[in-house]
Amino acid sequence: MAEIRINCVTKKFGEVKAVDNFCATVGDGEFVSILGPSGCGKTTMLRMVAGFEKPTAGEIYIGDRLVSSPDKGIYVPPEKRSIGMVFQSYAVWPHMTVFENVGYPLKIKGLAKSEIAVRTNKALDLVHLGGLAQRLPSQLSGGQQQRVALARALVAEPDLLLLDEPLSNLDAKLRESMRFEIKELQKKLGVTVLYVTHDQAEAMAMSDRIVVMNAGVIHQIGDPVQVYETPANKVIADFIGLVNFLDAEAGEGGVKIPALGRTVHAPAGLGGKAVAAVRPENIALAAPGAGLTGTVIHKSYLGDTVDWRIELGGEQIRVIAPASAFQEYSAGDSIGLSVDKVMIFPA
Amino acid sequence: MEKPSILQNFDAKWAAIAAAVGILLLFVVLPMLYLIWRSVFIEGSFHFETYRQVYAQSANWKAFINTIYVSLAVTFVSVAVSFPLAWLVGRTDLPGKGFFRTTFIASYMIPPYVGAIAWTQLTSPNAGYLNDWLMATFGLAKAPFDIYGMGGLIWCLTLFYSPFAFITISRALEKMDPSLEEASRIAGASPLGTLWRVTLPLMFPSVIAGGVLVFIGVGSAFGIPAIIGMPAQIEVLTTRIVTYVYLGTGKGVRDATALAVSLMLAANFILYASTWLLARKDYVTISGKSTRPVLVELGRWKWPLAGLVSLYGFIAIILPMGSIVITSMIKSLSRPITLDNLTFRNWLAALHNDQYMTPLWTSFVTAAVAATAATAIAVFVAYLLIKTRTRGRTIPDSLSTLGGATPSIVIALALIITFSGEFGLNLYNTLAILIVAYMVKYLTMAVRTIAASMSQVHSSLEEAALNSGATWLQSLRDIMLPLIGPSLVAGWFLVFMPSFYELTMSIILYGSKTKTIGVLLYELQTYADPQDASVLAVIILFIILVGNIILRKVSKGAIGI
Repeated sequence: MAEIRINCVTKKFGEVKAVDNFCATVGDGEFVSILGPSGCGKTTMLRMVAGFEKPTAGEIYIGDRLVSSPDKGIYVPPEKRSIGMVFQSYAVWPHMTVFENVGYPLKIKGLAKSEIAVRTNKALDLVHLGGLAQRLPSQLSGGQQQRVALARALVAEPDLLLLDEPLSNLDAKLRESMRFEIKELQKKLGVTVLYVTHDQAEAMAMSDRIVVMNAGVIHQIGDPVQVYETPANKVIADFIGLVNFLDAEAGEGGVKIPALGRTVHAPAGLGGKAVAAVRPENIALAAPGAGLTGTVIHKSYLGDTVDWRIELGGEQIRVIAPASAFQEYSAGDSIGLSVDKVMIFPA
Repeated sequence: MEKPSILQNFDAKWAAIAAAVGILLLFVVLPMLYLIWRSVFIEGSFHFETYRQVYAQSANWKAFINTIYVSLAVTFVSVAVSFPLAWLVGRTDLPGKGFFRTTFIASYMIPPYVGAIAWTQLTSPNAGYLNDWLMATFGLAKAPFDIYGMGGLIWCLTLFYSPFAFITISRALEKMDPSLEEASRIAGASPLGTLWRVTLPLMFPSVIAGGVLVFIGVGSAFGIPAIIGMPAQIEVLTTRIVTYVYLGTGKGVRDATALAVSLMLAANFILYASTWLLARKDYVTISGKSTRPVLVELGRWKWPLAGLVSLYGFIAIILPMGSIVITSMIKSLSRPITLDNLTFRNWLAALHNDQYMTPLWTSFVTAAVAATAATAIAVFVAYLLIKTRTRGRTIPDSLSTLGGATPSIVIALALIITFSGEFGLNLYNTLAILIVAYMVKYLTMAVRTIAASMSQVHSSLEEAALNSGATWLQSLRDIMLPLIGPSLVAGWFLVFMPSFYELTMSIILYGSKTKTIGVLLYELQTYADPQDASVLAVIILFIILVGNIILRKVSKGAIGI
């Protein structure tokens, strides 16, 4: 059983609250990401779970075991928490071979040499490093070092695996394939994962649920579809995926959006100034005259798609459309637009 | 339920660190405080009577003035010589500059008293090699040089203490972000204009820092003033202190104490004044990247300057060391230096002389034990400083720096009066008191080296070990120590070598059975036998050379004395 329960954890560095009243649960075998911009406190939260930082207030349970509680004077040091962790810098020990690195947690447990060898090789096979056991880290590529770190975190078969931006030092292609691999491994081993990242695509691709953090505070907890399609607020809508913000005004009859020339149903309790948010993929281009009419300001060819900047009702919006469509239009031309799915937030 | 955190936090890490701090308190803080206490509390009452009496004697007052005067003079000359040398070697296309740099830094590893012996051989007025040669060549009636005088003292001190300034300044020049200079060139300044308006002002803090090191080094020096100054009736504080201690009376020790406290206060005042001055001029001139600066082309000055620098190297190192080696090999001192007047027999005789080999062995053992203890303590002091966030983590490091900055003679005297049974610990005339003294004085070398290396170890490497279930001691053993291994060896040698040839503290701490090689050499030079002194000096230089080669090998050239 490796459920993590984080009850209202706060971490202060001096007077600065790095993490403020963080309450979340990670279910057994669940893959949960903490997503947020750099400096939002997500790594601090992860390090409190690992035991490298002590909370200022609140409680952390791993399974049924209370591991941190300043009120009760309880703090279990990292080496007693039986957690696997992958560090952003990999933290592969440069003076040990791949085998020694990965086998280290087992050596510390005092297992017999033969068993260490069997389990270490199994872990290396798991991350496709079978043939490199005797190499030194300096002889490995960044991606391979990453796999060593992963194997080391998994070798003792922990119930809980923590990953601190493990893919951020890899190149784009490798990053995408590692996402898939980590997810596959997690499913295969059934291990509980708490994953910290600032890359929303990474979080969306792997997570069962995402905890979105900003400035030390949780803004939303939900599955990838929820956080993308119904973000809790403007900040999250802006942080996850691309979004166009348009001025809006909430009144008696609903929310009026001048740029779209349309009034939509107002969420409860909204009044006065508001913002309408539209994802670029929810705007379709059309021939002029159909629907709304805007003016092309600029277009960037991206290969599979074209990134359009279009002036609409005095505001600038961004539209992502297939590259093949509307090739003949360029800056200064009028173009038609139709807008689907509008989100409304307080201003 | 887990145990409460207080018990959990009491683990090996804190026990080890507490032990290191405890040793520092016992051997650094207690003796220093007790020394000051003893100088102002006499027979139960507080007064400055001792100071008044001591400085009422004109000899002591003169020694104080001499100390300040000599230190200032040597500091100015050292900086004035070292800056151009460091610039030529670090920033220009001077031919052979790598060799020159190694040579100038190498002179730092020559024990100053060996240098003093060499210069008395070269320029003593009645039989100096240099004087003889000049008189014979130019038909002079009178010896042109006399080392025994203020000029000779400043000359010799400058040659052997200026490396402090050279090393500090050239390191800063090498680390300086060259884009600062490049920006000046782009802005239209000439190479010399850039040197004057950009490089020189930016180097100001390191020039001051280097100067302070020279000043304190010279003010605390004993070997050169004792060998060159005393025969000329020029006394400084250190020589007065040793004379008082040698009187062996209670009053002698009390007078020595007052002088020692004066010296300590003067040294600390200079140190803190410079720190305060530098803190206000804290330029960030060091970039993380190791960039290669564009070298200034010397043009037609190239070869004349190379000649000048070679001449300096010859005078500063080759001449004195050559003199020592030749003296050690000469058959008859009264005959001229020719090949058939040279022999290795003197060396073999010395190697079979127990009176010489016992002190050599004593020095070897005490230095090795001091180095081992200092390295072990330094690991914890550095760990506390670099790898923890505990309040007060800098205190042990400051204590080790305090030991390093305190004049050797002061440390020695403080240890004598503190550990002659006063506090239930009598180390007088034992090997232990020598070991403690070396450790206190040179611990900071090990701490600096190990701390620099530890700060290169990313904390996630240790965290990964804890995460793997390792305890702190296991992670120290398996991760940290192997990773900083070379710095442990380097730190060990940086304590071992100066301890091995130490003179200033040993001269008042040794007992009849614990004579060290430095003391022996000093005795041979002062009382009887300049030739055997040279033989022993060659042996010391040889051991230092071997140690230095090992050090360079281990640290891949990054560290050497």
